Amino acid sequence: MNENLFTSFTHPTLLGLPAVVPIILFPTLLLPTSKYLINNRLVTIQQNLIQLIVKQMMAIHNTKGQTWSLMLMSLIIFIATTNLLGLLPHSFTPTAQLSMNLAMAIPLWAGTVITGLRFKTKSSLAHFLPQGTPTPLIPMLVVIETISLFIQPVALAVRLTANITAGHLLMHLIGSATLVLSTISFSMTSLTLMLLVLLTILEMAVALIQAYVFTLLVSLYLHDNT
Amino acid sequence: MLSRVVLSAAATAAPSLKNAAFLGPGVLQATRTFHTGQPHLAPVPPLPEYGGKVRYGLIPEEFFQFLYPKTGVTGPYVLGTGLILYALSKEIYVISAETFTAMSVIGIMVYGIKKYGPSVAEYADKLNEQKLAQLEEAKQASIQQIQNAIDMEKSQQALTQKRHYLFDVQRNNIAMALEVTYRERLYRVYKEVKNRLDYHIAVQNMRRRKEQEHMINWVEKHVVQSISAQQEKETVAKLRSLKAILKAAYYNGSIPLPFMIRDPLVLIFSNSGSSSLTKTFFTQSSLQNTASD
Repeated sequence: MNENLFTSFTHPTLLGLPAVVPIILFPTLLLPTSKYLINNRLVTIQQNLIQLIVKQMMAIHNTKGQTWSLMLMSLIIFIATTNLLGLLPHSFTPTAQLSMNLAMAIPLWAGTVITGLRFKTKSSLAHFLPQGTPTPLIPMLVVIETISLFIQPVALAVRLTANITAGHLLMHLIGSATLVLSTISFSMTSLTLMLLVLLTILEMAVALIQAYVFTLLVSLYLHDNT
Repeated sequence: MLSRVVLSAAATAAPSLKNAAFLGPGVLQATRTFHTGQPHLAPVPPLPEYGGKVRYGLIPEEFFQFLYPKTGVTGPYVLGTGLILYALSKEIYVISAETFTAMSVIGIMVYGIKKYGPSVAEYADKLNEQKLAQLEEAKQASIQQIQNAIDMEKSQQALTQKRHYLFDVQRNNIAMALEVTYRERLYRVYKEVKNRLDYHIAVQNMRRRKEQEHMINWVEKHVVQSISAQQEKETVAKLRSLKAILKAAYYNGSIPLPFMIRDPLVLIFSNSGSSSLTKTFFTQSSLQNTASD
């Protein structure tokens, strides 16, 4: 039972013990591995989906970039499943915590930058200056590009956090609105319920899209730097 | 088996006991006396293809079967309703904002699964089918290839049995060619010989002709020489009188024209010097002329 709006976002504890770790590890139970060629339907569908995503996302990279494919695939699967599981009632979404998202975003972004600086120093530094800028603007533009570079990890993390948190919050609010309206008038209740249903559909889409966006941006940074 | 695990764990924990893992089999044999029960789950039974049947996606059928003898068909439903109402009324489950989100989420999930479940399952089955079909096709292609190789080998073996036809034909050809060459040469020989013989015959014919001509000329000459002048005059007078008779006969209409065209006397006296009389009677050309008249 929830007293206020924030209880769904606090760290869950089980008899005083932090239960975050099992919750984060839970999606792995839903993704079975199999050493056979012909599997059951669940494994077949999952393998097919993952194959689709790999083909879609890693096609633009060269050989060096494709060494990141395991990392990026794990990332997108993790974010997608965690977001979708968070839509279930009374569940906790790890990706709604800024700490978690920063922990994901900063190392990945730093990895791409350092890779670029290490192997293609000149070319990755050249990204600071877009082509065809007029000469007087160059110093200012370099400063702006540097700032935008350093904002990238923060943006990644905050984007994911904000979207998921906002979605959950909205669902909670409209749910409580429906609850209150249920005693007052039935038609408003049904209207609000309809709204809630639509919102849930949106949230499901958002969950998947956010995962995609996160991974896509990381892969984009990677592409620039390999 | 647990004893083996313990031993290997001890080996990793304390390196001095490194060789303790080798005692595993010995320990197993020693502890066999403790394994008194029947070995079950060995070999591992095959996994069932489909899971157990569930009603409403949550409650196994066996539960309904379990309650059926005592409570009939409606038993489990009454039990469920009672439990839900109990939880609600005692506020064990509180209706809050989450309830409505739960309702919407679960409603959408159920709707989605009911609507798209079968097609997704079909798609998964199709994927598996495709994989199997690929392998099957590879296998069939390999079998087909080998079958083709076997058939070709067999046909080639059969061919070697029929080689003697080829040899017979070649033999016949060669014999025919030899025959033809022999006959050609025979014919050539024949032609050469005939040529030589023809030559001899031609020589003979020519000699005879020449002799004949010579003799005829000799005879002519002597005959001409033998005719005296007096005889010639008498003969010419006879011819003149003959001509007058003929003319008279023609003008009387008793002798046709052709006999009057050539005048023998003109012929006789047209040639100068030579014995024209003999020419009239003895040369081929005058005879021909009179004949054509």
